[in-house]
Amino acid sequence: MPEEKPNIPVEQKDYSKLYLIFSAILFLGTAWAVWDEVKVRRPWKDYQEGYQQLLVEHLDSLRAAAESELDSATVVDLNAQRDKAVADLQSEEYQEAVSQKNVLLKDLDLATREWRFARSRSDAAYYSYQKAMLEGGDAASAKAEVQKHEDDIADYAKEIESLNAKIAELDVTINKYNDQVEKLNAEITGMFATINAHTLKLERTREMPIAIRQVMLNDYEFTPFQEIKARIDRCQTCHAGWAEPLMADAPQPYTQHPLPELLSKHNPESFGCTPCHRGQGPALTAGFAHGDDDHYWETPILRGIDVYATCNSCHVNETVLKYAAPFTKAKQIILDSGCNGCHNIKGFEEAPKIGPPLNSLPKKVQADWLFRWVRNPKDYNEHTRMPNFKLSNEEAEAITAFLMDVGKDAEFQFTRSRGSYAGGSSARGKLLFESVGCQACHTVGDEQTVRTNRALTFDIAPELTRVGSKVSADWMFDWIKNPRHYNPETRMPSLRLTDDEARNIVAYLNTLKDTRTFERTALDLNNPDKIKFGDKLVRDYGCFGCHAIKGTENEGKVSVDLSDFGRKKYEQMDFGNTHELSHDDTTEYQENSDGTVSVKHSWAGWVYGKLKNPRLYETERIPQRMPVFTFNDEEIRLIRMFLTSMTKDVPVANYQHNFNKRQQEIEAGRRLTQYYNCIQCHEMEGRGGYILTKYEEEAMGPPKIFESQGAKVQEPWLHEFLQGPTTIRPWLDIRMPTFNLTDAEISTITKYFLGTSKQELMIRDYAATPIDSKYLAPGRQLFDAYQCAKCHPAGRVSSDEVSASDLAPNLTMAASRLKPEWILSWLHDPQALQPGTRMPAYFYEGKGPDESVFDGVETEQIKALRAHVWSLGRQRSTASK
Amino acid sequence: MKRILCSIAMLGISFCALAGDVTGKVSFDGKAPAAARLRMDADKICARAHKAPVMGEDVVVNKNGTLKNVLIYVKDGLGGKKFDAPKDKVVFDQEGCVYDPHVLGIMVGQTLEVLNSDPTLHNVHSLSKANTQFNQAMPMKGMKLTKTFDKVETFKVKCEVHPWMGAYIGVFNHPYYAVTDDNGNFTIKGLSAGTYTLEAWHEKYGTQTMKVTVDASGKATADFKYSGK
Repeated sequence: MPEEKPNIPVEQKDYSKLYLIFSAILFLGTAWAVWDEVKVRRPWKDYQEGYQQLLVEHLDSLRAAAESELDSATVVDLNAQRDKAVADLQSEEYQEAVSQKNVLLKDLDLATREWRFARSRSDAAYYSYQKAMLEGGDAASAKAEVQKHEDDIADYAKEIESLNAKIAELDVTINKYNDQVEKLNAEITGMFATINAHTLKLERTREMPIAIRQVMLNDYEFTPFQEIKARIDRCQTCHAGWAEPLMADAPQPYTQHPLPELLSKHNPESFGCTPCHRGQGPALTAGFAHGDDDHYWETPILRGIDVYATCNSCHVNETVLKYAAPFTKAKQIILDSGCNGCHNIKGFEEAPKIGPPLNSLPKKVQADWLFRWVRNPKDYNEHTRMPNFKLSNEEAEAITAFLMDVGKDAEFQFTRSRGSYAGGSSARGKLLFESVGCQACHTVGDEQTVRTNRALTFDIAPELTRVGSKVSADWMFDWIKNPRHYNPETRMPSLRLTDDEARNIVAYLNTLKDTRTFERTALDLNNPDKIKFGDKLVRDYGCFGCHAIKGTENEGKVSVDLSDFGRKKYEQMDFGNTHELSHDDTTEYQENSDGTVSVKHSWAGWVYGKLKNPRLYETERIPQRMPVFTFNDEEIRLIRMFLTSMTKDVPVANYQHNFNKRQQEIEAGRRLTQYYNCIQCHEMEGRGGYILTKYEEEAMGPPKIFESQGAKVQEPWLHEFLQGPTTIRPWLDIRMPTFNLTDAEISTITKYFLGTSKQELMIRDYAATPIDSKYLAPGRQLFDAYQCAKCHPAGRVSSDEVSASDLAPNLTMAASRLKPEWILSWLHDPQALQPGTRMPAYFYEGKGPDESVFDGVETEQIKALRAHVWSLGRQRSTASK
Repeated sequence: MKRILCSIAMLGISFCALAGDVTGKVSFDGKAPAAARLRMDADKICARAHKAPVMGEDVVVNKNGTLKNVLIYVKDGLGGKKFDAPKDKVVFDQEGCVYDPHVLGIMVGQTLEVLNSDPTLHNVHSLSKANTQFNQAMPMKGMKLTKTFDKVETFKVKCEVHPWMGAYIGVFNHPYYAVTDDNGNFTIKGLSAGTYTLEAWHEKYGTQTMKVTVDASGKATADFKYSGK
């Protein structure tokens, strides 16, 4: 039985209003979503429009300026000239020439055709002739036939030649007219070139699409799980003007990049921006891209000098980068301060110990001086590199006892009898000290040229203001006569002082006394317990990080490895009892009135505090051993920048700088020349030369070593010179010291010079360089005419030319010192090779002043001069044999 | 002619700038350092070129108590106006192993003709910083070479062969400069009415500045005073 369907009432209620409201909400929601998506969340569109507008304004004004600068009278004049030139094409002469040429061209066609036919006929006749010869036909008449055609060919050829000559004659007239038109057209176009260029660029700028500009680096880096991942940069979406020179003074984000030269090697179009600047590449709002609004982004943008930290991602092995002075300086600080003595630091694993060995101290200093030094080195010498370990009197006494004990049976013995230093004049010693080169490394009193120019808080060698109270005169005499006697590994070179010179300097240095009075501390140096305690302290504090000390040869580094310190998290850092400074505060380190210190509680703040005062985070329970350095604000920021770079996150090998053999050789040379303090005197690759400002005239100071040095001097000469320097510039008071370099070290320097001048090491017999005898006599003539001997002694100069030796090197050295190719480029333009040199250029616009030799031709004259100079050395070497 | 044109123009325009001259004198008081005699023994050709002793020119006090070789120039007040370099060249001679003139002014782009009137080697080494340095040898008598400068700067020129030789060149981007003469006088010609800052430069005594107003009459005076230390 079918059930009756329940009677469901039809909905009576009207929902249309509700529908209307909801659909309105839906519509508005959609509209809002679209607006938000397209406009609000894409602020970069405004930036791009702004950039476009700015560039258009710039170009408009440039074009307007170019238009106003356009000499309209000249343009009118040129146009008129051009119109006249075009009208001249209708002239009788031109038209006549053209129609004559057309006739001649037709004739030429005909003649050429006939010539070809004659050649075919000649070939056919020659065949008949050959056939007649072989088959016994009438060879004579066949040959006559060939000859007849050959004559025809000659006739036609002559005709072609004469037609061509006539055409060429007409072309002279025709071209005269056409060239005039072309020339004027080109001139007119030239006048509009700038305007047209601006117009073209304007059009392109207007057509520029508003779009995201992104750079994708596939296979750029590793994830923490060692999987390769890509990097995407969209920075150029807003920073649209980075490559545009017109945007040099524009506001951010439109500004041109300040180092276009650098970008030529790190092209942002293929390399992106975040590899150097960090930040969140794919983000499209400033807050997220820079990291200010995204506190969980681990690599926010690097500001100020910190941006140089990322150089180390790829250039970890290098210490000098041309476009990154802060990077270079930071590495100099790290190396000079010996940070690697206690910490393992990526890139400096092989760096040498910076302090002297401490195995013969009793021969050098008194125990009470040593005690005061160990307790606080800055008290004796504020600018020493040795930091303050803040030791107690007991600890300092123990270390003194230990070091005195270590040196008790030192092998070092004075070779001269005691007192042989005596008899010098301190006045003469002072003059010598100030001129011979001591001041290149050591400061005394107010003479601080080198310290000022290095612009660092620490010196590279001890200040000698109080040295007379530190070491004995006997030791001093032995030391400056031959520093390697006391310390075979010292960097202090010998200045080849005579006994008298050394005595004078000792006499002078002995006048430099510590005038302060000290309470005498009774030191118990022979107590075995104290010696043992001293030994323990030396091991705990890691003194052997900088000093060689007998018995500590197998000790490792006492402090943490810094190679990934840049990634250490704020949460992992202990801030001790310091108070927190606000992140927006401009100061980084604040000493409060209650004796506490405030720092920012962040990675950067912690590092600043630690470097300012390494014992800052010490608490009762957590002792700290890092000694106290006296870095200033700039140095701290530079070191902090360097520490920022200490991370294991580096790009994959493809993106790394190719540290090839040449780079390695250059880098080894840089480190060696920094280690031996060569750069104190010699400017190399733009660093160093700290002593140069002492000299009013650059030529009176140590010569700069230019990057072309490797192309300048012969390798065997350089080797010999570095082994035992000889006088090249007799006018200098400062001496090139003898460093007793090993063969390997000399080879490092040689390869460094060759590397920077892009030369390969070649075994060459320079003495066998042939001299073309045709150049000898003219060379000698030019040498006299150009009065080279006015400045250069050359063996045969009479002694009454008093100024000569004070000006320029003796040329008898040239053949055994200089590379022959270098002499050519040197004579061509000395200023180009050594800016500021006293050597003048003789050649001007390809000509020499004396036109009677080789018609004044520069290249020939230079070869002649070289031949003569080269022969000067030969004469001497034959004579001396 | 210019005056007539100006008068015509004045009918319509209330103001007309006439070219004016600034004249002046550089006086000197106090003790002048004794002029050092130049020892030219190192090069006999130089020594032989002179009968009388030659004195250094770093401080030359004239008989009337004025200072010679002071370079006076408009430092400020031209309002970025551009001037074309004159076509005529400035001659800079080396005669008797002394530079003549000792101080000279030249415009950017104007030709400097360096002349060697001595039968000995000179080298002309410009110690310029803004302009590219040059150091050119002139070993023959009668040799000439030309140079132009593209930056405003005052710099020293010296000869390394003869260390006593030195001269100064001032490069300007306008034609308003002069050097004081044997009477300590100078004239800067052709300045239009207006207020200018003049600067006087001396190689030993440094610079002084002074405001000067050229009025419609076209005349102005500017007297400087240096004193020996």
